[in-house]
Amino acid sequence: MSDHEELESLVAPWVLGALEPGESEIVRTHIDGCPTCRDLAGRLSRVVGEIPVAVDEVAPPARLRERVLSAASAPQVAAAPVAISRRPAATSRPARRPRVIPVYAAAAIALLALIAGLLAAEAVRAPSPPAQLQATRFTLTGHQQMSGAQATVIDDRADGLVLVDFRGLPQPGDGRVYELWLIRTGSNPLPVGTFVPDSTGAKIVLVDHSLSGYSVMAVTNEPGPAGSPAPSQQPQLYGNLA
Amino acid sequence: MLGDPGRAEDAVQEAFMNVWNRASTFDPERGSIRAWLLTAVRNRSIDYLRGRGSREREERELQSDSAQALSPSDPWREVALSLEREAVRDAMASLPSEQRQVVELAYFGGYTQNEIADMTRVALGTVKGRMRLALEKLGSYLRGRGLVDV
Repeated sequence: MSDHEELESLVAPWVLGALEPGESEIVRTHIDGCPTCRDLAGRLSRVVGEIPVAVDEVAPPARLRERVLSAASAPQVAAAPVAISRRPAATSRPARRPRVIPVYAAAAIALLALIAGLLAAEAVRAPSPPAQLQATRFTLTGHQQMSGAQATVIDDRADGLVLVDFRGLPQPGDGRVYELWLIRTGSNPLPVGTFVPDSTGAKIVLVDHSLSGYSVMAVTNEPGPAGSPAPSQQPQLYGNLA
Repeated sequence: MLGDPGRAEDAVQEAFMNVWNRASTFDPERGSIRAWLLTAVRNRSIDYLRGRGSREREERELQSDSAQALSPSDPWREVALSLEREAVRDAMASLPSEQRQVVELAYFGGYTQNEIADMTRVALGTVKGRMRLALEKLGSYLRGRGLVDV
């Protein structure tokens, strides 16, 4: 058996996580440079990704939400027991960004709720486009008084999940909030949520609305806490959704 | 997988903390958030399993029948997920028992291919071959149901 054949025979165990760490790293390195094995790994990985769906959903207890929130809000989160993996990480862990801890905690909780029981899925679906085509990023850019602000929109259509990660927002002012809008040509802007950034100007917002059919996402400063039914000013943070 | 609700909660918590710490590395080009989170939770569970004694692991059930289903908040979603689950279970059931066994031992049991070869008393090459065949058959079955592409 050639070296390639030997390594190819390890692709199925690799996608199932059934290799020792050293073997796994060898296979990973080979796959990076071998289109044939990379295609095979991608194909088999999509199959493995369906296996957990066979397991019954279990509703997570309410206390788990509190545990995750508490752990995420703790000042020494880096000490959380996350270092026992026997698998090499796909990428090295980046430096922590303490300033965004609260918002990522909120995002984690939102995601926890969304995948309650770990296996929430939208379904038995018609043949869908490849997973790598189902999540898209857009950028919102600040102008004028919000020129230092920016946001990244992650549209994960596979999960019906839209997250907006804001950075560098100025405080909206006493009694004021930021309001997020979806805009399409010929229609009134659709309000999809209000929020106040943390003290560093960061915030992750979960948008409970599909972006389909909308061309622009924008943010305005509105009276709090409920915001306005229609924007009261020209947006100074916005971006195209295409 | 873990046979212990407390351990399962630990695994979920640690997986979410790991995801949180690596949130900036999420790359939508490589897959969905759902897949990322499920993989993180599964990998953390496997880490727990591999940190336990083999004797304890052998006594563990691979699947729990006592799991209580999530109360449906969306009837359509519940029905769709139920159908998807049924299709994946049918696909698993369609496998020859020796192929299903290696997949279950690896995916849900967290055993390595060497451990599976020892446990099932078959050659390592046979284990690798069964894994490949099992995943190819699952893929073929699931493609026919529109659950996986390519």
